[in-house]
Amino acid sequence: MNNRNPLDYSLNKPLVTSFNPFRYLFKDITLVLALIAVLVFGLAMLYSSSGQSFSMVMRQSIYVFAGLIMMIFISHLKPDSYKNVLMHSYWIGLLLLIYVLFNPAEGYTTSRWIDIGFFQFQPSEIIRLILPLSIVAYLHRKESKIRLEDWLYTSLAALLCSYLVFEQPDLGTSIIVFTSGIIPIYLAGLPYRVIAAYVGMLAIVSPFIWSSLLDYQKQRVLTYFDSNVDPLGDGWNIAQSQTAIGSGGFFGKGYLEGTQSQLNFIPESHSDFIFSVIGEEFGLLGITCLFIVYGIIIWRIFKIGLSAQSPFERLACCSLGFIFFLFILINVSMVIGIIPVVGVPLPLISQGGTSIVVHLLAFGVILSAKRPQL
Amino acid sequence: MRTIQDLRRDEKDTQSLRSRSGVIFFFLLILIISGVFKILQLTVLDRNNYEAESDKNRIINLPIYPARGLITLEDGTLIAENIVTKDLYIKTKLYETSMDQVAQLHDKVLDENRKIDQLQAPIQDEEKIWLARNLSEQELAKYEVQKNSIPNIQLEAKLRRYLPHKNLFSHVIGHLGLINMDERLSLSRSEYPDDSFIGKVGLEKSYEKTLRGKAGIRLMEVDVYGNKIREINRVSPDKPFNLTLTLDLRLQKIAQEELANRRGAVVALDPTTGFIKALVSSPDYNPNILNGSESGSPVSQSSLEDSPFFNRAISGLYPPASTIKPFIGLLGLEEELITESTIVEDKGFFQLKEEGRKYRGWKEDGHGRVDLKKAIVESSDVYFYELASKLTIDRISSFLLRFGFGEISGIDLINESKSILPTRNWKLGNIGEAWFVGDTINIGIGQGYISSTPLQLAVSLSAIANKGKIFQPKLIRNNQLEDYEPDLLMEVQIENPRHWNIIEKSMISVINSWNGTAHNLYEEGGITIAGKTGTAQIKSLTDQDLTVREEYEGIRKDIKNRDHALFASYGPVPDPNLVVVVIVENGESGSAVAAPIAKRLIEQYQININES
Repeated sequence: MNNRNPLDYSLNKPLVTSFNPFRYLFKDITLVLALIAVLVFGLAMLYSSSGQSFSMVMRQSIYVFAGLIMMIFISHLKPDSYKNVLMHSYWIGLLLLIYVLFNPAEGYTTSRWIDIGFFQFQPSEIIRLILPLSIVAYLHRKESKIRLEDWLYTSLAALLCSYLVFEQPDLGTSIIVFTSGIIPIYLAGLPYRVIAAYVGMLAIVSPFIWSSLLDYQKQRVLTYFDSNVDPLGDGWNIAQSQTAIGSGGFFGKGYLEGTQSQLNFIPESHSDFIFSVIGEEFGLLGITCLFIVYGIIIWRIFKIGLSAQSPFERLACCSLGFIFFLFILINVSMVIGIIPVVGVPLPLISQGGTSIVVHLLAFGVILSAKRPQL
Repeated sequence: MRTIQDLRRDEKDTQSLRSRSGVIFFFLLILIISGVFKILQLTVLDRNNYEAESDKNRIINLPIYPARGLITLEDGTLIAENIVTKDLYIKTKLYETSMDQVAQLHDKVLDENRKIDQLQAPIQDEEKIWLARNLSEQELAKYEVQKNSIPNIQLEAKLRRYLPHKNLFSHVIGHLGLINMDERLSLSRSEYPDDSFIGKVGLEKSYEKTLRGKAGIRLMEVDVYGNKIREINRVSPDKPFNLTLTLDLRLQKIAQEELANRRGAVVALDPTTGFIKALVSSPDYNPNILNGSESGSPVSQSSLEDSPFFNRAISGLYPPASTIKPFIGLLGLEEELITESTIVEDKGFFQLKEEGRKYRGWKEDGHGRVDLKKAIVESSDVYFYELASKLTIDRISSFLLRFGFGEISGIDLINESKSILPTRNWKLGNIGEAWFVGDTINIGIGQGYISSTPLQLAVSLSAIANKGKIFQPKLIRNNQLEDYEPDLLMEVQIENPRHWNIIEKSMISVINSWNGTAHNLYEEGGITIAGKTGTAQIKSLTDQDLTVREEYEGIRKDIKNRDHALFASYGPVPDPNLVVVVIVENGESGSAVAAPIAKRLIEQYQININES
C-alpha cells in the first residue's frame, strides 16, 4: 500500500519523503506516463492512418491536451464534491440520447450523430462512461446499505440508455452501453437471486428481441460466422484488416510504410480500425508493446481502486478499469475478426475527440481516488 | 470518525469487490485468450498468405502496348503508320445526365459536317462513349475554349493507324476495328483490353500478331480506388516487326486510276518471284476512317451499292471466259488431239450431232477455216467447243488443276475465295445432276460452271509465262534476306516443251496480228506482250431464233447484265517480268476496256525496273 499508516513502523523508511511536485500534480506518475505514452503513440498512428493529415492530428492534439488538463483538474477534487454532479449527469446523457433520435446530423443513414456546428459527436460515446459513473454515484449516494429498489432503478437506467441507442439503430453500441451499465451494478454486489431473476426474464423475451432486429443488424451479427458472405460489406472490411495485420508479420512494414493502410485498403483506418494499421506497420512486436502499456494502465487503475478508501472510489475505479479493459478487447477482437463489427474505437488512440476527452475525464475520477502524497 | 464497524464493512466490501472482479476477469480472459491466438495466427502462422494477399491488393499489372508495326514499300515509302489522334469521350455512366453538355459540344466545338455524318455514330465500349474521333486543329482550339463548361467530356490522345495513301491500299492493308465478342473469347484480356483495336481484314488481320508485337508489363502500385501511385517495375515490350510490301506504288496508282468509277480488279505479279506488284479492287474505301485516324465516311455515296469492302481481286469469282483458251489449246496439243496445223471449219456454231443443239460462237458468220493460232488470235469459240468435246471434262479439270484452277493460291490475305473447277463429282454434289457433254463444251470457252478469281487467273497464267513454274504469290517480302529464294508453289511438267512456245506465239499475235482481238494495243517497236482477251457472259444466250448479237442487244439494256471485260496478259516477251490480269465488271469489251490497263502497267513496270 502506498498510503502508509502513520503508525506503521514496520518498514524502515522515512515517514515524510521530500516534496515531489510531479508526484503531487499527477498523483500516479506511472499511470499518467503510460497514458501520455499511449496518447502520443496514438497521435503518431493517426498521422499515418489518416493519409498523413497533419490537420487531423492537430485537431486531435487539442482534444488530448484539453482532456489531460481536465483530467488533472478532476483528479484534485474530492470525490464527495462531484458525486452528486456525476449522479445527475445521467439525465444529461439521457437527454442527448433522446435528442439525437429526433435531431440527427444530416448525411448519415442512422441517427447517431449530433451536429453542433463546429463539431459532431455521438452521445453514445458519452453515455458509455457517464452511465457507469452515475450508477456508481447513485448506489453510493448514502453511507447506508444498498436497497433492493436501487438495484432495480439502476438496472432500468442502464436498460433505458441501451434501448435508446438500439433505436438509433446501433445494436453493437447498445450492447456495450448496457454492459458498461451492468458492470458497476454487478461489482457493487448485485444479489445473485436478482441476477437469476434477470436471466430468467431474458430467456423469455430474447426470441422477441431477435425478431425485432433490423435486417442489417441481423446481417452484422451473421457476418461474424462467415467473412466471405459479402466481400464488399463488413466481411470485406474484416478481410482487409486481417490482411493488414497478417502481412505486418513480426516486425511490421515500418512507420508510414503499411501498404494496406497508406493505400486506403483498410476502411475507417483512422478510427475504429486503427489497430490494424498498428499491426501492419509495427507488427506483432508493436502490438505486444502496446498491450504492455495498456496492461500497465489497467494494473494502475485496479491498484488505485482496490486501495481507495471509500466504497464509491473503489467501485468507480474497478468499474472504469473493467470498462476500459473491455473496450480495448472489443475493439481488437472486432478488428482481428473474432467478433462482429461494432462501433467501438480503440481507447485513447482512435480518431475522435469525444471519446478521448470522456476517457480522460474518467481517468480524472480514477486519479482522484488516490490520496495526495506529500 | 471511522469506526471498527466501518472498517469491518470496508473489509467485507473489498472482499466482495475482489471476488466479483475475478468473475468478470474470467469472462474477459476468454476474449483475451482467443484474441492472442488469433493475432498469433495472423502474424506468425498465416503471415505469408496475408503478405501475398496484401501485394495482390496493391499491385496491378498494366500492359504496355508497343506502337503497331509499320508497313512500308521496298524503297521505304510509308504505307501504314501510326499517328496521334485526339478523341473526345464521356464516361458511359455520365452520358444520360450530360445531354446538355453533349449538345453544347455539337454546337460550339465540333464541325458542322460531323452532325450529319451517319457513319460517325458514337462508338461505345464498356466505360466510355466516344463522341468525336480525331479532332481537327480547329476543333481542338474550340475545345480548349469550351472545356471548362463541358467538364464531363474529356480528351484522350491515342496512337491510331494511318494510311497516308488513304484508299490506294485499302484492299491490301485492310483496317482495324474495335475488338468484338468472338475475338475476345480467343484472346487474353491483358493483351487485348476492351477498347483495343484489332486487325479486321487485309494484312492488318493476317499479320495481326506480328504487327501488334508482344505487350510489356508495368507493375503499378494502386490504392483502393484504383488510382496509380507509383511504378514498381517495368518489362519493356518487344519491338514490333515492320512489314515490307512487294507492291509497286506507281503500278498501284495506275490501276486505281484506271478502275476509278468502275467495278473491277487488277492483279499484277512478277512471275519470276511470285511478288504481287499491284492488287487493286474497285470501288475501294478509306481505311483511315475505320481506323479512327480520320473522320468522315469511309466510302463514297456513289459506290455504296457496289460493295466497296469486297475485295474483288482475291474474292470475286468470275468466269474466266476466253482467257482459258490458251490452257485448253495447250491441253489439246499435249493430248495430241490437235497439232499446230489442225484445221476446224468455223461456220458460226457447233453441233455435236446433225440435228442437235447449236452452240453459237460470238461471231455470227464464223471465222472460216481456223487453226490453233487463229482460234486464239480471233478467239474462235467453235474451235474450242469442238476441242473441249473431244478432251472430255476429266482431262480438262485434271489439267487445269495443275495450273491452280480450283485452288486457293495461299496469298497472305484472308477471305481469298477458292475458285471453282468443276468435275463430274463436283456437279453431282453441288448441282445434283450428272455431267453432260454440253457442260464440257461450255468449259471449253471458260463459261458455265467454271469460275476464277483474278488472283488465281494471274497465278495460273504465270505458269505459261514461266514455262511451267508457279511461284507462291506474296505481298510481304522478307527484308532480312538479300538474296531472296522464290517460293515454288508448283511446277507444270508437259510432254513437249515446244508447246509452251506455240501457245505463247499465239498469245503474242492476239496483240501483234492485224486480226488479233487486242490489236488495238499494238505499237510499232513497242514492248512485246502476250495476252488473251475475254468477255464473260453474265446471262446465257439461249434463244435459238435470234443471233447472238440480236439477243445481246436486248440484254445489255440493263447495265448490270452486260458482259464482264477480261484481259490476261504478261510481258515483255521473252523474259516476262509482269503478269497482269484485269477484270472490269460489265465492261463489255476485253480489248477496249481491260487490255489498255494491262498494257500501261507492263510498260510502267519496265520504266520502274530501269530506274532502279
